[in-house]
Amino acid sequence: MDVALKIWRVDGETGERELKTYEVEAPEWACLLDVLDIIKDRHDGTLAYRKSCRMMICGSCGMRMDGRAILACKERMKPIVERGHVPVISSMGNLPIVKDLVVSMDPFWDKIRAIKPWLDPGYDEAPERERIVSQKEMNVIAKESLCIMCGCCVSECNAMEADPDFRGPAALAKEMRFVGDARDQDDVPRLNTVNDEHGVWDCTRCYFCNERCPKGVDPRDAIAKLGAESVKQGIDHDLGAKHAKWFVVSSKTTGWLREAELVPKTQGIIAAIKETKLALSLLRHGKLPPPGPIHVAAEVDEARALYDLVKSQDRDGALGIVQGERGLARIEHVEAEGAHRDVPEVTPSETPTPAEG
Amino acid sequence: MEATHDVLVVGAGLAGMRAAIEAHDLGADVALISKIHPVRSHSGAAEGGINAALGNASDDDPEKHAYDTVKGSDYLGDQDAIEILCNEAPGDVYQLEHWGAIFSRTEDGRIAQRPFGAAGEPRTAYAADITGHVLIHVLYEQVMKRDLRTYEEFFAWKLVIDDDRCQGVIAWDLLNGGLKTIGAKTVIIATGGAGRLYQGTTNAYACTGDGMTMALRVGVPLKDMEMMQFHPTTLSPTGVLITEGTRGEGAYLLNSESERFLKRYAPNAMELASRDVISRAEQTEIDEGRGVDGSVLLDLRHLGAEKILERLHGTRELAMTFALVDPIHEPIPVRPGAHYHMGGIDTDVDGKTELEGLYAAGECACVSVHGANRLGGNALMETITYGKRSGAVAADWALTHTTVAVPPSVESDAQRELKTLLDRGDGERPWRIRDELAKTMHENFGVFRREKQMKEQEQIVGYLRERYESVVVEDKGEVFNNDLTQALELGFLLELADCMVVSGLARKESRGAHARPHDYPDRDDENYLKHTIVRWIGGRPVLDWKPVTITKWQPEERKY
Amino acid sequence: MKVAYYKGCLASLSAKELDSSTQALAPKLDIELDELDAVTCCGAGDIHEAEPDYYLHLNARILAYGAATGADTLMTICNVCTLNLRQANWQLKNDDELRERVNKNLQTVGVPAYGGNIEVKHFLWLIAEGDGYEKLKQVAHKGLKGLKVAPFYGCQILRPSKLLGFEDPDKPHSLEAIIDACGGEAIDYPAKIKCCGFPIIQAREDTALGELLQPIEQATEAGADAMVTPCPLCHLSLDAWQSKLRERTGRDFHMPILHLSQLIGVAAGVEDSELKFKRHVVSVQPVLDKLEV
Repeated sequence: MDVALKIWRVDGETGERELKTYEVEAPEWACLLDVLDIIKDRHDGTLAYRKSCRMMICGSCGMRMDGRAILACKERMKPIVERGHVPVISSMGNLPIVKDLVVSMDPFWDKIRAIKPWLDPGYDEAPERERIVSQKEMNVIAKESLCIMCGCCVSECNAMEADPDFRGPAALAKEMRFVGDARDQDDVPRLNTVNDEHGVWDCTRCYFCNERCPKGVDPRDAIAKLGAESVKQGIDHDLGAKHAKWFVVSSKTTGWLREAELVPKTQGIIAAIKETKLALSLLRHGKLPPPGPIHVAAEVDEARALYDLVKSQDRDGALGIVQGERGLARIEHVEAEGAHRDVPEVTPSETPTPAEG
Repeated sequence: MEATHDVLVVGAGLAGMRAAIEAHDLGADVALISKIHPVRSHSGAAEGGINAALGNASDDDPEKHAYDTVKGSDYLGDQDAIEILCNEAPGDVYQLEHWGAIFSRTEDGRIAQRPFGAAGEPRTAYAADITGHVLIHVLYEQVMKRDLRTYEEFFAWKLVIDDDRCQGVIAWDLLNGGLKTIGAKTVIIATGGAGRLYQGTTNAYACTGDGMTMALRVGVPLKDMEMMQFHPTTLSPTGVLITEGTRGEGAYLLNSESERFLKRYAPNAMELASRDVISRAEQTEIDEGRGVDGSVLLDLRHLGAEKILERLHGTRELAMTFALVDPIHEPIPVRPGAHYHMGGIDTDVDGKTELEGLYAAGECACVSVHGANRLGGNALMETITYGKRSGAVAADWALTHTTVAVPPSVESDAQRELKTLLDRGDGERPWRIRDELAKTMHENFGVFRREKQMKEQEQIVGYLRERYESVVVEDKGEVFNNDLTQALELGFLLELADCMVVSGLARKESRGAHARPHDYPDRDDENYLKHTIVRWIGGRPVLDWKPVTITKWQPEERKY
Repeated sequence: MKVAYYKGCLASLSAKELDSSTQALAPKLDIELDELDAVTCCGAGDIHEAEPDYYLHLNARILAYGAATGADTLMTICNVCTLNLRQANWQLKNDDELRERVNKNLQTVGVPAYGGNIEVKHFLWLIAEGDGYEKLKQVAHKGLKGLKVAPFYGCQILRPSKLLGFEDPDKPHSLEAIIDACGGEAIDYPAKIKCCGFPIIQAREDTALGELLQPIEQATEAGADAMVTPCPLCHLSLDAWQSKLRERTGRDFHMPILHLSQLIGVAAGVEDSELKFKRHVVSVQPVLDKLEV
């Protein structure tokens, strides 16, 4: 079949870039990676990209197609060709470009190393045989263990775009791989590490990482698990944690969120006063209910009772999220239908967003 | 010179990383060189599991494991090496678990073990169907813990020899450009196999036999080069691997008549017979017209959705992405694909080669643990056990010797050679040569081998090598020039192909993966119970022989 | 159609205008709202993160009460509520053991058991296609007179698409279709599917504002008269926090932000007393002037 691609050729040193079009013939079973190989072999040997296993396990070939991160070896070209679409290929986001589709993974690995990515079993002398761990305990980190370190999640992370120091979905998912591992004895220090300024509470919950991950790791869920474990361990000094806990308190007392008290209760009076300007503007527009009788949902005592009940049932912390994974794994994802309309050629992010180093 | 180290490990897959960790823990200054990031290494693609006589699934012991391995090797394996592997395997697997490897567990929380091809007991420890992935990550974690120096994306090209010793490596710095020399008292080669010689292969693009050829070119002999294993269940046309674990969980192999045809070839073991037996059976079925579009069918449907989702989730993903088939509902079309190279750099049981200061471990080495055919699950075990052993021995030698000498002429010669290649403007692009090599090896040196075809292949390889002399690298730049490294990889492959065909012609019998049903259908222990050896002399492989070490088990008829 | 109506926290409090405009609009689209009151906050990402087991039970309770009304559909008007409820619904529907446990707990505190028999849908989905879309075209007779509207989807109505699945998460066009049907001109820009920053606007204001800037700036540059969003949390970010962008950029954007129900409401002639534009921080007057309302 005839395949056309547009590729952003980039000189990493000078920053010069050019969008080049390539038209080649490729077999029907070809994936994006196969097409890149044909281009490099037969048309332009200077095209630079990484590859190795071509079977979605090594993590080398992360790149962007139409502005979204994918593994080149996983994307079949036939459906794209049949739609008559010419995709734009560029390098992954949030990482500095070395050349063309090759990014420097140094910032990525620096963040991985920063979370002490090795098991801390809490002993020096190993026992003679294997440690006894149940399959159920190991299943707590079944998803985190799938990570192939491809960088697709990091590429799309909205929080990292705005805060380049954010530890990011890959490093945090890797941290959860250890926190959730029954054999690792370092939970509290680990959680303290990732409750810092650029840690779990810096995540904006955009779910791009879950969406892009080619292996189903669901890094956002791993971050939520770390948050859950932190709260369980009483590590709640971060404003994000306080914010989250206020939601819990609200649900048990008034049902609906006690918005008006959110800032003073979580940030304290001084900060509340600092936000006076904003608060006044909200108040003026009726966005902030004046202090006084609060609207309480009906039958709130049911919520209170539920809280006490579930707390006694030992599914605290990350287990509350893990328990739902079996149900979610059984979803048969159907191709989304939706509002039918001619979709214009302009795709979001055709031009690559500038990568911060 | 960039730097010098006590131990320099070339290749950062399982064997390389394990060797580096061991050498470091024994006090040596260690560095790793890898042309790709360590976790991208092809060890990570291994799926089914790692063999050790842990005894968690049945009453097992290292001697049974050794016997299965010896028989599996069609008696070409060196039995002292095999016994060492099987004895040390359990401890080595426990070590991995202590480091945090995520194994699947039994009901009572021990490391689970599944049945695998040609094994008398279920002894393949596994992590769902991503065992290689799990192991490569646990080893890289341990590498990060020790902060081991890694020359990442450095393409090792030549070994430095001086004073009859290996003194280091010359490599092309892929990220920044330029040749860099790294000196070392000892070098351990752990560069994996060369599946890229074949059109349909489970191997990554990176598996181009680099280390084997590097050793060959400095006079180190290679052993049993004709022994290439064809994995029975790979997807067409790419060769993507579908794990033996599917058969370990109970999958069937069917022909176009929905018959479990293995009852005619291996009536006892059926789908869990030895890989070479099954590949030959499949190829015969396909050749005799009972295939389906050049493949046979791997049927998982009767295993049920629950089991597939839990234990074979990765397999399902691969089948759906690359074969467009959901194994819960449809069988997967599979055929034999080049998978594992039993042959390689001739080493002893410590990973030592003939050349002082040079060691080898993993798939690139030939101890020989696998002889003429490897059991599924033994390769991962070999990388760990022999990686560890060679790391220990290399560290020991390095710590008791002091000098490293890299003659400047070695560097300037390499620069000159590279310049000639890069400067060439007129010539052939590598892909044509590469594709022709892969196609013809597939046709003439595949599952079944014939005298006439092998002789033809010898000619073809010679002709391709000639054409390689005028190969052109289009990218003349310094930054991330993998056009250059891919051209160098082709050079490595061509010399290995030559060695393989010469060895194949010389072995006039059928043994293990070397099947010659038309001219020499039987195993000939009287004349050929020995290893082939090739040395590179005068630009060609020159053949020799080496005896097989037998300790306990005399050759018997090999039936499954 | 009759739906169980879950309006969520903000529509009850700071975004009352969303509730009032929805309640005024729904009957015109033949949607009868059966409002749930024995419910709580869905927990947002916060309870999901701080007390996930509790989050599951709170949402199961909402689903149970929704199903108890006899309706097939539980209608939401907020992205976050939609994701939370749908996620809980998938977990309960596909896992008998889990549902059994949760139901036992629900019944212990006096809540009916949940049989997995209600579908959670955002108001947006009910009117972006099919019969709902046809009705919309009829109802939006006053029209938007070519008003240039930039749709802002936000995150949790699109991702994870496995849980939401109404439309292509990278090329959604339900809002565009609605803007079109209402006689407006849909403005395209890349950040329409990116994050407004709301979840961390308090805990990490700087990061959040860095995110918020993108849709506001891009929509402005693309010439939009107004933006529309199906999520009251995004609305709060885009509207109430818009002025904070002045400190960062020195620019006053003055970009009016409309809730989905308000946008359609204007086109359908809903009274201003129900649309309550005065509650917005950024004045909507320029839009109203353009529409000669």
